[in-house]
Amino acid sequence: MEFQELDPILHSQLRLAVVSLLISVREAEFTFLKEKTNATAGNLSVQINKLKDAGYLDVTKQFNNNYPQTICKITKKGIEAFEDYVKALQTYMNPNGQ
Amino acid sequence: MMSEVKLTENESLKLITEMIGKAKGSYHSNGTSAILWGLVIFFCSIFEFFEMQFNFDIGFNIWWLMFVALVPQFYLMLKSSSKKNFESYEEKTMNFVWWAFAASVVMMMFFNSYYRPSHSESLFLMLFGMPTFITGGMFRFKPMIIGGITCWILFVVSIYTSLKINLLLMALAALSAWLVPGIILRKKCIREAQQ
Repeated sequence: MEFQELDPILHSQLRLAVVSLLISVREAEFTFLKEKTNATAGNLSVQINKLKDAGYLDVTKQFNNNYPQTICKITKKGIEAFEDYVKALQTYMNPNGQ
Repeated sequence: MMSEVKLTENESLKLITEMIGKAKGSYHSNGTSAILWGLVIFFCSIFEFFEMQFNFDIGFNIWWLMFVALVPQFYLMLKSSSKKNFESYEEKTMNFVWWAFAASVVMMMFFNSYYRPSHSESLFLMLFGMPTFITGGMFRFKPMIIGGITCWILFVVSIYTSLKINLLLMALAALSAWLVPGIILRKKCIREAQQ
């Protein structure tokens, strides 16, 4: 069994954490992701933009009671990329395919 | 603190598991709605039982109180949605289950007030068990699973008992399906907030 290449977009601590969180919920606000990952707002914002540019996330900015709100949701492409990433990881964890 | 660090395969897997666990453990009900509806149904059942037992009539159907209880329910929903910063799949599913239940209860109430069938309380007991059992199963919350099963047992019992006794069975169903699980959830929520 060959080792599959790991998606460089996902193979980074914070981006993988964000995608893993979003795969489990329907949608989440920026504050939820910040709270769960303990990342700084600046760094999290940069990584979310990278995921958005890759087409893995949908990011909606809106106002709720006069407060700005950023809502993130994983896209179909993001789900497929995450599934492929987990499959690729399995080839490393279980190289004999057993 | 997380940064843009490359991970080993083991670390990746560990991180995925940890984050999925964190997201799954984020949804908590504080039990307020369960307590509200448990109290309303308990009160209405007991009140109607007393009306029959002591032969008095307040001039309107006490069960219309359920519509009044929708006001605090909407307030609770608005309050919790303004605080919430994510929406889980389970929560979305549960909302549909409970709205379907509420719609069925309202339709049954209209049906009963029009046709006045006998033993209609039994059908309510059966209906009470369904969303309670589903919610308990979905969130692995035993008190609600037990509450749902209790409603179904009471449904069977109610087939063989009189209307007056069935009202007491409905009060018991409200206690076991919502009031007791709601109080357990509320206590858990307060305990977690203090930690």
